[in-house]
Amino acid sequence: MIDPLPPRDLPRHQWRRLRDRLATLLITAGGIGVVVTVMAIGVFLALEVAPLFLEAGRSLGWRELWQPRWQPGTLPGESPLFGLQPLAWGTLKAAFWALLFAVPLALGAAVHSALFMPPRLRSRLKPTLELMEAMPGVVVGFVAGLVLAPWLDRHLAGALALLICLPVGLLLAGLAWRRLPAAWRHRLPHGWAGLWLMPWLALLVVSALWLSPWLEALLFGGDLRGWLEAHAGLGYASRNALIVGLAMGFAVIPGIYALAEDALSGVPANLGEGAQALGATRWQSLWKVVLPAAAPGVLSAVMIGAGRAVGETMIVLMASGNTGLMTLSPLEGMRSMAASIAIELPEAVPGGIHYRLLFLVALVLFVFTFLVNTLAELVHARLRSRYRRLGGRS
Amino acid sequence: MSESVAMVYAQASAHQRGTSSCTQGARTPCRPAGMRLRPVRRWAEGWGLALLLLVLPGLGQADADEVAGTLGAVGSDTLAGLMLRWGEVLTEQYPAVRLQLQASGSASAPTALIAGTTRLGPMSRPMHEAERAAFMARHGYPPLELEVARDALAVVVHRHNPLESLTLAELDALFSDTLRCGAAASIERWSQLGVDLPGGRISLHGRNVASGTHDFFRLRGLCGGRFRLDVNEHPGSAAVVAAVAAEPAAIGYAGLNHLTPAVRALARRDSETGEFHAPSAAMVTSGDYPLSRSLYLYVNRRPGEALPGPERAFLELVLSEAGQTVVEEVGFVPLTPAERECQWHRLEGHGGR
Amino acid sequence: MIGRARLPRGEGVWPWLAAGSLALSLLMLAGLLFLLAVRGMGHFWPSPLTLVTLEDGRLLAGQAVREERQPNAAGRERLYLTGNRDLDGAIWRWVAVDEIAEESRPRDLVVLERTRWGSFQGRLLALEERGERVEGEAAWAALQARLQELAALRAERDRLRDEIVVPLVRRMEREPLAEAELARASARIRELQARIAGGRLLLESVDGRRLEQPLEQVLRAWRPNAMSPPAKVAAWGGGVWRFLAEGPRAANSAGGVWPAIFGTVLMVLLMSVVVTPFGVLAAIYLNEIAHQGRLTHLVRIAVRNLAGVPSIVYGVFGLGVFVYGIGGSLDEWFFADQLPSPTFGTGGLLWASLTLALLTLPVVIVATEEGLARVPDHQREGALALGATRVEMLTRVVLPMTAPAMLTGVILAVARAAGEVAPLMLVGVAKLAPQVPVDGDFPFLHLERKFMHLGYHIYDVAFHGSDVQAALPLVYATALLLVLVILVLNLTAIFLRHHLRARHGALPRR
Repeated sequence: MIDPLPPRDLPRHQWRRLRDRLATLLITAGGIGVVVTVMAIGVFLALEVAPLFLEAGRSLGWRELWQPRWQPGTLPGESPLFGLQPLAWGTLKAAFWALLFAVPLALGAAVHSALFMPPRLRSRLKPTLELMEAMPGVVVGFVAGLVLAPWLDRHLAGALALLICLPVGLLLAGLAWRRLPAAWRHRLPHGWAGLWLMPWLALLVVSALWLSPWLEALLFGGDLRGWLEAHAGLGYASRNALIVGLAMGFAVIPGIYALAEDALSGVPANLGEGAQALGATRWQSLWKVVLPAAAPGVLSAVMIGAGRAVGETMIVLMASGNTGLMTLSPLEGMRSMAASIAIELPEAVPGGIHYRLLFLVALVLFVFTFLVNTLAELVHARLRSRYRRLGGRS
Repeated sequence: MSESVAMVYAQASAHQRGTSSCTQGARTPCRPAGMRLRPVRRWAEGWGLALLLLVLPGLGQADADEVAGTLGAVGSDTLAGLMLRWGEVLTEQYPAVRLQLQASGSASAPTALIAGTTRLGPMSRPMHEAERAAFMARHGYPPLELEVARDALAVVVHRHNPLESLTLAELDALFSDTLRCGAAASIERWSQLGVDLPGGRISLHGRNVASGTHDFFRLRGLCGGRFRLDVNEHPGSAAVVAAVAAEPAAIGYAGLNHLTPAVRALARRDSETGEFHAPSAAMVTSGDYPLSRSLYLYVNRRPGEALPGPERAFLELVLSEAGQTVVEEVGFVPLTPAERECQWHRLEGHGGR
Repeated sequence: MIGRARLPRGEGVWPWLAAGSLALSLLMLAGLLFLLAVRGMGHFWPSPLTLVTLEDGRLLAGQAVREERQPNAAGRERLYLTGNRDLDGAIWRWVAVDEIAEESRPRDLVVLERTRWGSFQGRLLALEERGERVEGEAAWAALQARLQELAALRAERDRLRDEIVVPLVRRMEREPLAEAELARASARIRELQARIAGGRLLLESVDGRRLEQPLEQVLRAWRPNAMSPPAKVAAWGGGVWRFLAEGPRAANSAGGVWPAIFGTVLMVLLMSVVVTPFGVLAAIYLNEIAHQGRLTHLVRIAVRNLAGVPSIVYGVFGLGVFVYGIGGSLDEWFFADQLPSPTFGTGGLLWASLTLALLTLPVVIVATEEGLARVPDHQREGALALGATRVEMLTRVVLPMTAPAMLTGVILAVARAAGEVAPLMLVGVAKLAPQVPVDGDFPFLHLERKFMHLGYHIYDVAFHGSDVQAALPLVYATALLLVLVILVLNLTAIFLRHHLRARHGALPRR
C-alpha cells in the first residue's frame, strides 16, 4: 500500500515528515480551538453578566434579585421587578413533575427490556424509543398546549381515573395471563408483554374515560374541581404543571430509558444468574442484585434526564401558562427560566439590565446543567469501574 | 399619468393649511394614480444587501410609468397581519413592488425610523414625546403620523358564560392586585360577579410581558397597575382566545381581530350611567369603548418632498376603500370615510409645498 | 438474601408494571404519531359539506369539526366550519346538537377557496363574464373551465413577476437602464391581470343571502358532496402538493410551507458544512493526537456534557457573540455605509447555522470518537509498521473505517438541529421571509437574510396567528412534515450505525 522508500528519495521522505508535522499541528490547533470555543460559552456568559454586579451605579443587590416577583414592566415611570425566585422555582417545579412522571415509566421500561425481553426484540425497540427522543419540542409543546390542555380541562376526572385504572388493569392482565392455558401463554410470552399489552392499555384508557363521568358523580358529587378546591385546597388552572409534566416527561423518558437500560444490561450476567440459581425469581434477583449493582448508572440516567427537563424551552413556553407563581400544586402553572429567555430576550435592549439579567438566567441554566451532567458522568465512571471489578464487560 | 400626479399635488397644496386640523371639506376622492418612477438609489455593494430592512428613497428623476422597488417596514406585530395583507394587495396592483416587514414590536418602529433604517413604521400606540423629539432632533422635522385602522382589546369569556358586562373597576379587580381603578377588593370567584359556574374560580388569561397588548391593557384596564401573579401569560393573542374558548371559567383579553364565535366579548358598563359599551365597530370608532386604540403608520417624509413611488402607492392603498376593506377582513375596525378623508389631508397636507 | 420462596406464585406484580410502563411509553409515542398523521393528512381531504336545518328553521352549511359537552347543560354542541366570513363575520358556528332538526348533504353545495375572506360555502347561481351569463349546472362546468384558465394565467403572471420583474427591480437599484424592460414586463403583467379580472360569480349562501364574487379572487372550487372517491383522492394529492410547493398566503393562515422547508433545509445544510470538519477535527485530536492523560479525559467529559446544556443557552450565546459581537463588528468594518441599519448585526441565516453548529458539535465529536475508538489498534500499528506517517495512517486507514460513524454523527446532528426552535427565536428566524436566502442575485446565497423554519412556523402559526382553530389543521400538517423529516434522518442514522456495528463487530476477530 505504501511505497518502499529508497534512500535516495530523501527529500520526499522529508516532505512526508514535514507534511505529517504540519497536519498534526493543524489538527492540534483545530482541535484545541474547537474545544476552547465550546468551553468559552460559560466564560462569555459570565463576562456579559459581570457588569450587572460590578458596574457602579446600577449594580443589583441580592435582595432585589431574590424577591418573589418577576415583572419586567415597561410602563413609563415605573421600576421593573426583577425577582429571580419565581423563575428558579418554576424551572425546578416543571422538572420535578416531569421526572415524577418520566422516571417510573422509563425505569420500568428499562427493567422490562433489559431483563425480560428477548434480545432481538430489544435491538428493535431501542431505536424506536430513540425516535421518541427525536420528537421536536415544538411539536410536543404544541400538542400539549393546544390539544392536551383543553382536553384535560374537560376530562380531569378521566385523567385521574386513568391513574388508577392503568395499574389495576395491568395487574389484572398479569393475573389473567397466569390463568391462561399454556398454549396461549406460549403465544403471548412475557418477554413480548411490552407490545401485546398496548391494545389492552388502549382499551383501558378508553374505558376509563368512558367511566369517568360516573366515577366523578359518584365520588366527587359530579364536580371534581370543586371537590379538589374545597377538600385539598388545589385550584385548577388550565395551563398547569400536570400538563407540562406529562409533555416534558414524554420528552425525557427515552433519554432516561436508554441510559438506564444500558446500565442494567451491562451488569455482568453471572451476578443475576447466580442469584437465580440460588432460587431467586428474576424480579428478586433484579431487586436485590442487579439493581444495586447498576444503581450508579440508573442514578446518572435520572440526573441527565433532570438536566434535559430543566433546560427544555418550547414545551414549557407553549404549555405552562408562564404564571410567576410559587406553588407546588400540580394543578397550577409556573414560569421557567428557559421560557422567559425565549420570550423576553428578543425584546430586551442590548446592554440593559433586563438583557443582562436574562444572560444571568442563561448562565445559571448553563452552570446547573453542566454540573448535573458532570456529576452524572462521575457517577457513571464509578459504575464502569465497578463492573470491571465484578469481572463483566464494561 | 404625470397629470394625475400634478393634480394630486395641486390638491395637496390647497389643503396645506389643514395639516392636523382635518377639516372635512369636499374634495374629489383620490384614486390610486400611476406614479412617477423613482429608481431606487444604488445602495449596497457586493454581497451584503440588507434587504430585510430598507430601501432608501430614490433621488434619480427618470420618468416612466412604473412604481418599482422594495418597501421596508419595521414595527408592531399587532399590525403584522394587516401589513402583510396590504402588501399582498399592493403587489397585485403594482407587480414590481414588494413589502418587506420586520414585525418585532411597536418599540422597534421609532428606533428604526430615527435611525433611518426604514421609512414606514407601523405602531399600535402613538409615539411617545421622547421618541418624537428624538426623531425631530435627528431629522429636523416631525414624522408624519397616519391613523390607518382602529383596534380594541376585547375582554372575552367562554361562549356559555352568562356574564354580559364589567365595569372598569371590576376588570381591574379581576386582573390586578394593585386595585388602582377604585375597586375595594379583588375578585377571584365568579359568584362575586353574580355568575353561577361550576368550579367557580376565575381563571385569567393574557399576553406575555414584552408585548404591546400587555402594556396597553395595564395602562387602560388596570389604570397602570400590575397584573396578579396567576394571570396565564400566553405568547400570542390567538392562544389567549383558544385558552378561554376551552375553559368555561376563564376570562382573558385579546385584540378584536382574534375574536371567534367560541368566545364572547364583554361590554364595558359605565359605573355611573350604567350604559353598556360593547367593543363594536361603532363604539370603537366613537372611542366610547375604553380599551380602544388607534393603529398608526409613521412615515419619514421630509416636508416639501414627494414620497417615493412605492411608499406613496402603499399609503394610497392603505387609505383607499380597498385598503380599508382589508382592515375589516383582518378583523380590525376600519376608518370611517370622514376619518379617511382626514388622514388624506394629513398625507397631502404635511408640508406639501 | 431471599426471604421466602414464592416461586410457584410467579414473580409478583412488579414485572407487569414494568412491562406496562414500556407499553405505555410506546402507546404514547404511537398516539402522538397517529394524532399528527390523522389530523395532518386529513386536512387535505375534501370533507363533506352538511346542510343543517335548525329547529327554528335557520339553515347553515358547514363541515362538522368537533363535538363537545356543553358546560352547564346536559346536551352537546357541535362546531361547524361555515366559511363565508364576508357574510357572517366569522367562519365558525357552534350549534347545540338538540337544536338540529335535519341534516342532509345536497350535491349542489360548492366550496370556493378565495384569496380574500377565506372560503365560501353555499350555492353557485351564475357565472357572468364579458356580458355573458351562464346559469345552473352549466355555470359549474363553465366555472371549472374558467378556473383552469385562470390558474394558467396566474402561473404565467407569477412566473413573469418572479423571473423578470423582481430581478429587474434589484438590478435597477444599481443601474437605472432597465426601466424600459421593466415597463414592458409590467405591461405584460397588467395585460395578464386584465385577462384574469373581469368575471363575476353570483353566489347564494344556503340561507338565501346573495353575493357577487369577483372571479379573480377565486382560486379553486369543488363540490365535496358530489365528488367520487377517486376525485377526492386526486384533490387530496393536489392539496398535499400545494402545501409542499407553495408559499404561505393570507398572513401565514393559508397556503403552503415551501419557504419554511427551504429555509430549514438550507440552514441545516450550512450547519453540517460547518460542524462536520470541526467536529471531526476535534474528535481526531482528542482521540488520536492528544496525550491521553487526565486533562484530555476531563475535556472529553466536558464536551460530552455540553450536549446536555439547554439549547436556549446556545441561543443566548449566539445572540451575544455572533449577532451583537461579531456581526456588529463586521457591520462596522465592512458595511459602515449602511449603518445604523444592521447587515450582519441582526439575526440571520449565517448566525443561526453557526449557533446550531455549536449546539450539535458535541454530538458529532462524540459519535466520531466512538467510531475512532472502535478501530482496532492493530490496524493503526500495522500501518505505522509499514512506514506510514501518522497523518497517512489517519487519512488512509483510520478515517475510512470511521466514515460511517462520522456520517451517523452528522445525521444525528442534523436531526437534532432540524427540530430545534428555541435558539432560532433569538438568532435569526423570521415569521415571514418573502425572499428565500438563495436567488439569482450575486452572491446567490444571502447569509445575512432571515429565513423561515418549519419548527418556528408551527409555533408562529399556532400562537401568533389570528385564529387557533382555523390554524390547527395547517399546524398539524406542518408538525407532521417536520416529524417525518426528522424520523427519516434518524432512521438513516440508525441504519448506518447498525451497519457500522455489523462491520466493526467482525473486525477485531479477524
